[in-house]
Amino acid sequence: MKKLHIPVEHTTLANGLRVVASPDHSAPFVTVGVYYQIGFRLEPHGRSGFAHLFEHMMFQGSENAGKMEHIRLINSSGGLLNGTTNYDVTNYFEAVPSNALERVLWLEADRMRALKVDDENLRNQRDVVKEEVRVNVMNQPYGGFPWLDLPPVAFRNWPNAHNFYGDFADLDAATLADVQQFFHTYYAPNNAVLLMIGDLDPSEAFSLAKRHFENIPPGPPPPRADVSEPPQLEERHGEVPEKFGPLAAIAIGYTMPPRGLKSRYAAAVLDRVLHGGRAGRVHRQLVLEKQIAVEADGGADLIDTNGPTQMVTRIFPKPEFEPAAAIAAFDEVIREISEHGVAEDELAAVKVKIRADYYSMLEGGMGSYMPRFGLMHYLASFTLFDGDPDRVNTVLDQYQAVTSADVQAAARKLLVPQNRAVLVRKPVAKGAAQ
Amino acid sequence: MSTPAAANSSPVTAPPLTPERPVAWPKRTVRTLGNGLQVVLAESRAFPKISARLFFRSGNAVVAHTAPGLADLTASVVRTGTASRTSRQIEEDLRRMGADLGAHSGADSSAIATSGLSEFSGELLELLADLARDASFPEGEFERERRQKLEELKIERTTPGFLANERFRHVLFGEHPYAIVAPTEEQVAAYRRAELEDFYRRHYTPANGLLIVVGDLSSDSMIEQIDKIFGGWQAPQPEVAQDPAPPKNSGRHVHLVHLPGSVQTQVLLGNLAITRHDPDWHRTVLANSIYGGAFHSRLVVNIREQKGYTYSPRSGISALRQYGYFSVHAAVRNEVVAATLTEMFYEMDRMRSLAVTPEELESARNYLAGVFSLGVATQDGLLTQLSTVYLERLPENYLETYRERIRALTAEDVLSAARRHFDSANEQIVIVGDRDQIAEQAALFGDVETFDAQGHPL
Repeated sequence: MKKLHIPVEHTTLANGLRVVASPDHSAPFVTVGVYYQIGFRLEPHGRSGFAHLFEHMMFQGSENAGKMEHIRLINSSGGLLNGTTNYDVTNYFEAVPSNALERVLWLEADRMRALKVDDENLRNQRDVVKEEVRVNVMNQPYGGFPWLDLPPVAFRNWPNAHNFYGDFADLDAATLADVQQFFHTYYAPNNAVLLMIGDLDPSEAFSLAKRHFENIPPGPPPPRADVSEPPQLEERHGEVPEKFGPLAAIAIGYTMPPRGLKSRYAAAVLDRVLHGGRAGRVHRQLVLEKQIAVEADGGADLIDTNGPTQMVTRIFPKPEFEPAAAIAAFDEVIREISEHGVAEDELAAVKVKIRADYYSMLEGGMGSYMPRFGLMHYLASFTLFDGDPDRVNTVLDQYQAVTSADVQAAARKLLVPQNRAVLVRKPVAKGAAQ
Repeated sequence: MSTPAAANSSPVTAPPLTPERPVAWPKRTVRTLGNGLQVVLAESRAFPKISARLFFRSGNAVVAHTAPGLADLTASVVRTGTASRTSRQIEEDLRRMGADLGAHSGADSSAIATSGLSEFSGELLELLADLARDASFPEGEFERERRQKLEELKIERTTPGFLANERFRHVLFGEHPYAIVAPTEEQVAAYRRAELEDFYRRHYTPANGLLIVVGDLSSDSMIEQIDKIFGGWQAPQPEVAQDPAPPKNSGRHVHLVHLPGSVQTQVLLGNLAITRHDPDWHRTVLANSIYGGAFHSRLVVNIREQKGYTYSPRSGISALRQYGYFSVHAAVRNEVVAATLTEMFYEMDRMRSLAVTPEELESARNYLAGVFSLGVATQDGLLTQLSTVYLERLPENYLETYRERIRALTAEDVLSAARRHFDSANEQIVIVGDRDQIAEQAALFGDVETFDAQGHPL
């Protein structure tokens, strides 16, 4: 077995900004990311969608780079950029030819130092975000399924359970003062990590980081939302109308063990036994063998989340089967693994696939034009949540150490009604959307 | 790089770029086996994986007039059984090798694509050969895949982006096979298993094939291995029929697909343009990049960053084997359909009327040169670039010379390409949405024909 070792060097600047560098000279490009430890789960109570709206504002202009300057400077350097809002982090990242490294750092530092936006920018981006929600959710078959549908059913605490894209009324209520306050609260260097990956020399990269970022003043430690959930005592159910699509869609979520527990790795392996394409038990049973469903698969994001997280199975039953029949077939898969566990050869194969998928994620992870996106994403997660970027080299050992008995124990403990939520999207009456 | 004096102060203007490092595209091993199979290998060893694509130069266009979409279903069924492996064995073998596999057909080609750990390279290539040579088309798997395809089609015909593209291609290509992007449900129901097998026997042949493998491999030993695995396979090149020409659309026309209850409208307009072999290709790619092909392009700045009509407007220049087209799209709120079209045409006409500024030219050239080269940094990106070169039979040094060709282009090149290939006066305009909300706005831009989601005139 060929084992991959990723070189990782890290330091912390005087203002608390964590900096991670990983050299890789296989191509003359660098991938740079800044991750702030604020995501839609952590946004202020009652301000649904604000973390994401704010992410858009970070492209609207900073102290020395006005509106469109960030985008123009990156694109005209031959690079790509984007940002995404996640449960527990918001990230901003660029992939550029390596001769643009300092330019990228200058831009990221400029917008970490001071955001320079006005009411017109806010109105504009509020409109853009509403069209984003329409194109991804309101005007698409199965839009928002299940990432927006399931949390309100599964969870009781507002941070985990609210509309992450934002109710339009909340988006409309956002003011420029809110934007600046959010910036000063959460976008301080001591609440962030800078990642630099690719064709670079770590010590040079660290001195560039120091030059551009170190004089940004730190802020007080940001308040952290309480994301804990009250104990769940029974299975939870919800139903949402599907306005366009002709099929029902079912999401079944089980809450995973918290970060830091060894059982989280067993749960991750259990997830890959159940899901992960056509060899996964759920797809094999529901789609290939019983042929109850058109599609069935799922997964759990366990590396990049830091709060209540579910393993979610998505099932699209054929129209002649009631959702209940598909759920019953799924329950048989669950019963089978809880009663009989997983055979050694199946476990070994799953572990090989976990290793291969991990490498693919590190190499790309967001399409072929954002090299090392996954490596950046995982380094950020291990730094912010575990304080140890080097875990990128050891996490696979944790998966490899999971035994068949661990998987069965995880199945028995986790795959129970009082740990699950079921959400059904029901097509509206036939003809209404014809 | 850093001097003590500068160590702690970030400047107020963007730092200049440091000297550029050349992009080194990996050396290729290109070989045609005795049976006609073209093989391309490239080493890319940062991760212990390989990625392979086995193409056949026949896709849905070949069957468009007899059984639209049949090539795609053929590809789906290919992975479900061979003379020596059941569907379940294939999937378990793949997982054991840490591999993913997909099989699909586009208009011009069919492909089986796979990637997995390099320690299993030999076995993975054997599986690929097994699927390409000995697929058994089990009856039960065929029926299961057919049914899945039917359900997928029903969903696709509720998806605004799909419906816009389906209507657009129909309008642009008329009687030409490129007009059809998906079959009807009736057509899928009429497929027979024997037709899939026949397509497979005639078109999945080494003489019609191209195998590209990139990744953690040694070209010298892999070419031998490939010769051993694929060399004994014998089957002839299929014959290709002549296709009817696409229509000449004159004047702007509006084609409205009525999707009741839509809270947004999908706008898609464009015209027939050119293939990658046209001498204007790079000029037009550059013109497109400045018009609407990048985040910092004129159209995105106008209708997103200034007016807030839309989240993701873009334009594109697309090339199929025989023809290409230029297109512009945006999903906009219902109230601004006419305003969006006005701005799309305004920016298009501006590209056709005035030379772009030196700054825009420089910026767009750098953007294209840089982003094209990003493909070298991942196996998947490299495979995609190599696929374009060898499938389209572009010059052997295409990747290596791309940057200099783009950087040699001038503002005059951009102006002439926009004048020739952004056919403002004859654009075909497709809009998908609720007609009660948008028909009146649409009518400002030409006569309106209205269809339902199944393509029937209303």
